Amino acid sequence: MTKTIFKKCVSLLTIVVLLFSQVCTASYYSQTKTFLTDTSTFLLRGIVFDDFGHPLQGVVIEKKGAATFTVTDEKGNFQISANLNCSLVFKHSKFNDIELSVKNNSAISIKMTERYLNKINYAVSKTTLTSDTEYLSTSNFKKVKILYGENNAENLVSPISAVYSNELSTTPASSYMYGLVGRLPGLNVNQLSGFRTPLTSPLTSLDIFVGNIPNNNSGAGPTDNTEFAIQLRGHGNSAGQSPIAIVDGVQREYYSLDPESIESVTLLKDGLSPLLLGQNSSRGALLITTKHPQAGPPRLSITAETGMQSSLGLPDPLAAYQYAYLLNEALLNDGKSPAYTSADFNAYRTGSDPIGHPNVNWYNTILKNNPLMSRLNLDVTGGGAVARYVVSLNYMNQQGMFQSSSSNSYNTNLDLKRYTINSKVDIDVNKQFTISMQLFGRLQDGNQPGAGTGTILNTLLSTPNNAYPVINPDGSYGGNANYTNNLLSMVESSGYIQDHVRDVMANLDLKYKLDKFIPGLWADAKGDVSVQSANTLNRSKQTPVFDMTLSSTGDTTYKRFGSTVNQINTYNTTSWARYWFAQLSLGYDKSFKKNNVGVAMVFDQKKSLINYDLPSLLTNWSLKGNYNYAQKYLIEAAANYSGYNRYQPGHQFGLFYAGGLGWNIAKENFIKNNISWINQLKLRGSYGRTGNANIDSYGYYNWMNYFTTVVPTYAMGSSYPGQAGLVEQNGTLSNVNATWEKADKIDIGLDISLFNNHLQANLDYYNERYFDVMQQRGATIQLIGMNYPYENIGIDRYKGTELTVTYQNSIRNFNYFITGNASFQASKVLYMDEQYRQYAWNKQTGHPVGQRYGLIADGLFQSITEIASSASIVGYTPHVGDIKYKDLNHDGVIDQFDVAPIGKQKPVIYYGLTLGFNFKGFDFSALIQGVQNRDQYVNNSYIDAGFQSQNNSYSQAYQQLLGRWTPETAAYATYPRLTAGGNAYNSNPLYYSNSFFMKNGNYFRLKNINIAYNIPDKLIRKYKVAGIKIFVNAQNLFTHAAYGAGDPEVSMPNYPIQRVINTGFNIKM
Amino acid sequence: MNNIKYNIFLYILIGITASMLSSCKKSYETVPLGQQINLSLAFDPKDSLGTEALEFLLNVYNVATPYGYNRLSGNFLDAASDDAISSASGIPDIQKLATGAFSAASPNVDNVWSSYYTAIRSATVFIVYINRVPLAEKLPNGNPARPAYRSEARFLRALMYFELLKRYGGVPLLGDTIRQITDNVQLPRNSFADCVNYIVNECNNITDSLRTQSQVTPSNYGRVTQGAAMALKARVLLYAASPLFNGGNIDPTNPLTGYTSYDINRWKLAADAASSLMSLGTYSLMPKYSDAFITQATPIGSNTEMIFWRQGGSNISVEQNNGPIGYTSAGGNGITSPTQNLVDAFPTDSGKAITDAGSQYDPNNPYNHRDPRLKMTVMYNGFLWLNRPVQTFDGGLDKPGGVIQQTKTSYYLRKFMGSFESVSGSAIYSNTYHDWISFRYAEVMLNFAEATNEFSGPTQDVYNVLYALRNRAGIFSGTANNYGLKQGMSQSEMRVVLQNERRVELAFEEQRFFDIRRWKIASQAYNIPLTGMDIQQATNGQIFYNIIPVLTPVFRDPQMYLYPIPYTEVIMNPNMKQNPSW
Repeated sequence: MTKTIFKKCVSLLTIVVLLFSQVCTASYYSQTKTFLTDTSTFLLRGIVFDDFGHPLQGVVIEKKGAATFTVTDEKGNFQISANLNCSLVFKHSKFNDIELSVKNNSAISIKMTERYLNKINYAVSKTTLTSDTEYLSTSNFKKVKILYGENNAENLVSPISAVYSNELSTTPASSYMYGLVGRLPGLNVNQLSGFRTPLTSPLTSLDIFVGNIPNNNSGAGPTDNTEFAIQLRGHGNSAGQSPIAIVDGVQREYYSLDPESIESVTLLKDGLSPLLLGQNSSRGALLITTKHPQAGPPRLSITAETGMQSSLGLPDPLAAYQYAYLLNEALLNDGKSPAYTSADFNAYRTGSDPIGHPNVNWYNTILKNNPLMSRLNLDVTGGGAVARYVVSLNYMNQQGMFQSSSSNSYNTNLDLKRYTINSKVDIDVNKQFTISMQLFGRLQDGNQPGAGTGTILNTLLSTPNNAYPVINPDGSYGGNANYTNNLLSMVESSGYIQDHVRDVMANLDLKYKLDKFIPGLWADAKGDVSVQSANTLNRSKQTPVFDMTLSSTGDTTYKRFGSTVNQINTYNTTSWARYWFAQLSLGYDKSFKKNNVGVAMVFDQKKSLINYDLPSLLTNWSLKGNYNYAQKYLIEAAANYSGYNRYQPGHQFGLFYAGGLGWNIAKENFIKNNISWINQLKLRGSYGRTGNANIDSYGYYNWMNYFTTVVPTYAMGSSYPGQAGLVEQNGTLSNVNATWEKADKIDIGLDISLFNNHLQANLDYYNERYFDVMQQRGATIQLIGMNYPYENIGIDRYKGTELTVTYQNSIRNFNYFITGNASFQASKVLYMDEQYRQYAWNKQTGHPVGQRYGLIADGLFQSITEIASSASIVGYTPHVGDIKYKDLNHDGVIDQFDVAPIGKQKPVIYYGLTLGFNFKGFDFSALIQGVQNRDQYVNNSYIDAGFQSQNNSYSQAYQQLLGRWTPETAAYATYPRLTAGGNAYNSNPLYYSNSFFMKNGNYFRLKNINIAYNIPDKLIRKYKVAGIKIFVNAQNLFTHAAYGAGDPEVSMPNYPIQRVINTGFNIKM
Repeated sequence: MNNIKYNIFLYILIGITASMLSSCKKSYETVPLGQQINLSLAFDPKDSLGTEALEFLLNVYNVATPYGYNRLSGNFLDAASDDAISSASGIPDIQKLATGAFSAASPNVDNVWSSYYTAIRSATVFIVYINRVPLAEKLPNGNPARPAYRSEARFLRALMYFELLKRYGGVPLLGDTIRQITDNVQLPRNSFADCVNYIVNECNNITDSLRTQSQVTPSNYGRVTQGAAMALKARVLLYAASPLFNGGNIDPTNPLTGYTSYDINRWKLAADAASSLMSLGTYSLMPKYSDAFITQATPIGSNTEMIFWRQGGSNISVEQNNGPIGYTSAGGNGITSPTQNLVDAFPTDSGKAITDAGSQYDPNNPYNHRDPRLKMTVMYNGFLWLNRPVQTFDGGLDKPGGVIQQTKTSYYLRKFMGSFESVSGSAIYSNTYHDWISFRYAEVMLNFAEATNEFSGPTQDVYNVLYALRNRAGIFSGTANNYGLKQGMSQSEMRVVLQNERRVELAFEEQRFFDIRRWKIASQAYNIPLTGMDIQQATNGQIFYNIIPVLTPVFRDPQMYLYPIPYTEVIMNPNMKQNPSW
């Protein structure tokens, strides 16, 4: 399969190379050479094409220096009075500006290329050829997606930010989430892992006493987002808070979609815009719209690309002799006898005894460089007056970083193969009635070494360089009594685990205009069914290791450790889910002179059946309305009576409501008539009372009193290991009063567009008060014999500011843009039923949500006298080189009373800056993304402490520890003195955090860079293709982090973040 | 035309609405499958078998009964006494308990507060609701079985209160109330005396309804018996009579930490309680000391010494966790390092202390002529194990040095293991029964002897207990038939002998740790550095023994005689009083 695709790629590539070799000059237009001697005006005719070579309607053609313009008709034709050597400018909101000078009077044809950054055009007054004043660009007003529909950007009173296909498709990644980083103000996308983490644990386990028992007792459903933590406006510290993904109008947790197949991702972030989500409206929403049908002759687009990945932020292990030396130092510090002799050091350093004194850099041994990620994408769309269609096919193959052995007939490396098909058909049954159908299918096949990616990465992190030789002289895997599983054999000889995820989603949307009953009335019915099943095939095994020893007589003996476990063959379902969604709406949109009214009633119900759960039922009865006067004064309101069946009967429904006002100042005559460079100046505000039914994150029907079976329990009688036992609801008191979390959200914003829409800015201030937040009460006394449940207790405030500024313009044919966004986010705990705290600095109320608390480090102890005069932890005698903690209450003891907030408490700033240009067929764009005022708690026990107790021995240690305290380096030590075996005094004192390891987490990345070249038309015309683009793009090319060690976001043992350098081409026909 | 299509739309709309409405029809259970067992099913008023209710009781057993093998993050509790240390590298949690590196806010590893209060609640649920269940089962003597089951739960609850009492002093007694989320649980502590009375009363009240040992059928093997209730009573009264609580209260006027005055009659009560169990005649010492720990009791096995235990099944876990590390094919992690202090506590095989003149003790051959219990308790250098001598000299197979976890004292634990001194075939462990014995007859005898000595001095009864134990251990009776014991000892001389005998006989059974506290000798016992042996083997095979210090425990007197109440319990509950000095 991959081979054939590869062959196809190669042949396509050959065409591209051939074409490229013919490049000489780039030209945008063709002309027949008729020389004019006259300077008088003449009527110039022409035709404008889009990048598929299809006629393009609505292109504005201006004659430079004149106040007139013309617009292309539906066949792309235009005519304009021109004279020789005058300049014509072709403009369209979706396409780059083109400027050309007229050389003769023959008809011209123009092909336009798509803009990288989408542009919202507001009305600009101009005069047509016939001297009528007209508000131009109304035809290509940008419609923006709103929940269950779309609207003109001008009419909105909610803040909307969106990312469009270009920004997504230049991101070489497996999921569109990668493309959102730094692009949507208000959305914090923090990467957790560089590769997806598939489900591999079975859904149920078989017990001989009670049959199949569910392994997961929470009602929260599966998600395919395992690589990112997504927060909206800084909110997301408790469970079930991240924005809801709504794919083509249906709430579905699809994050792993090919960025290429997506048209736009829109973020709904205030209280009003997501209100129709009812009991989920607090979470906000990401509206994902896949490419939709476009009328016309077929447009075919093929993209093929391949990228090389490399891991960033891997730690540097200590070489064996350094490890031995530092471990000796640690043991001596602990008052123990050293473990290595100078002969050992020499053997490690010189490598003279690779079996007895191995020095293995496991990172170089089991990881390979530059695994590939390939994607292939085919889109075709077209249709006529009656029916239109779009079909997208995607294939993706992402390879993991593990070595594999050619001796296996099967693949052992980590990988992900994904096949997606998305088809949409719109049928106009008649002028009133439209049927839209969508069929989405996705197959994801993952693979990983039989030992498991997580286990391998953990072992890789913790195994010292001198643990055992990789391969013995006889070819067997090295190992010993303490390391019975060889790392290399874990990646190449442990069999494999496959996982398969299957998704099918079918949408049906019926729209009917009921104008003949009441003009402006419409009805809409939508139905959706989707199914997901995931299973895993475990064919893992274990290969034994051998410990080679030389006896005094020189005989070699191999002692076997670890048993040979035959390849198992276990097939398990890991998850299955079914979702039904139905929606009925009845609406009315009508304009009466300058009064525009829109009202809609919406009923919808989402039923989810996940694993072995009972169906969960989310029901919304909504009413929304908007009114504006001449698009000048805007009012919008919505109310939603929403219910969720996981709450106790009688407590399932609640009312949510929101409203907004807008004032479009630019439409006022005093501006419209006087200040022509203001295209848009809108002041808007919204308020919403929203809710979040996140009860599933805290258990399943947890208002009920019940008993559960636990197995096995106590062995009574002659049967061992024991029979089933019964407990009270898993040890937690039932929460009869549980209800949804609520929020009051206020958003005030300003939308500005100036200078013919070249400069645009959006400013938002928000203030959100979340209450009834699920928390445990302060008095969770253990005497009651049960855990207290999470109850609706907390009150938190989130507030902040978001700013986006965009400038787009062109200098002749040089089209350029720059857009930047920044979010300032702050939060505060207003109430948390905090337990009694003796001192003010112990209190947590009033600090930011998610604040870290711990002991305050005050440097390292430098002398015995300093220790004698300082407080310490009970039962521990500090040594010089240990961390000194601040005794905040001066009682001579470091204890819970010395715990205080650690780290910054300033508003966190997320920012992104995208800039780029298009010139002579070249496209360039770059995204810089960063975070300011961020804290990073760097306390990995293997990397930042080392020599942990494991396998009856000591774990790996890393280069960082070279900065440890010693008497010689006392002045500039970056780590406390070494200890072995997990002395928690320095790393985890009293199980608290410790400000010594709180580092500046600020960073910025050159997140994405893209260079593309469009091959000139005349070179490709004979191949009957409309356009060929070749491109190179890169992800995570450069990172600057304030704390330099490791990656600021992802650190081991999570799969490291990847730098991807990707190249490919796109052919349009 | 349009009308037809419009009608089509209407039909579709109606169809969708209808199907949506029909989907609202209930096609699933209203209560999820995993949550269908409600109170009236768990304690079913119609189920004469009481299946669910008895399963519930099993779970109470599961949480309430300790399983002491490597219980505390891999270690024995005794590794926090003067008998052993942990071999683990770094500062293992058990060592923090021995060196006092804990506080109310960061509790020690043996913090049982939460798990026992959880199980106390469960026991109460059973006690309250079992009477709803019309159990038809009869005991072999024809009595209904329901009171026996109910009494089992009461025993387990009383046992947990005792386990809390010996660690924390007086604790809140919750009675038979089951509290819910809306109830106030900010309860004060009951006094030490209240707790003792409550536990003793419970034991008294349940004894008659419990099964006797002979009524235990194989399917009820492991249930609480009359003997268990009597043994618990004897132990509670012994603790109540002991110096820490009786006369030596660390906070003399505080009724939470002990009695506020001394009463010698408490020793009498303790002696009587032990005596009445001994006079039952149900239990007796096993002929061979080491068999007492690896043989199952009647009716399944032949062990007559076990009174209450938790089944551990037949496996090799104790051997693998604690066995010497040099037996690579058998496996052994050597986590427990018994101390020289413990080894020195064993008398010689003539019953004399090694410091006694004429004890035949030879410092250059220290393991020769010793109480046979020594070789059934610890392994030492040269000890035969799995067909080869254990090598704990420096550089030996079982103490190779380097980074690997190994004994720190040159001793390994031997007790509780199967007889693997010499095995036929390959030198690996085979499955052995590892029941954890909470109460055994030898302890009851020692309880009796100690209480009797304190109340009426070293009477012949006291000597007889020692003779029986030493006889069974294999100590020579000697020509005077006195097993090396001096005749006519004073009460305090006898106290020393009894304390030492208890240490030797009950080593690693979670007794010593609490004994040194209740005897109020912890500050002395912990003030001696714990030692191990450093053994050098010369090339000619000659062995040199050096005693080396391995750990200096810390005991803050009087603070550490009781555990601190967990800090959060005190801070969340204004009625909860903390123990002195914490």
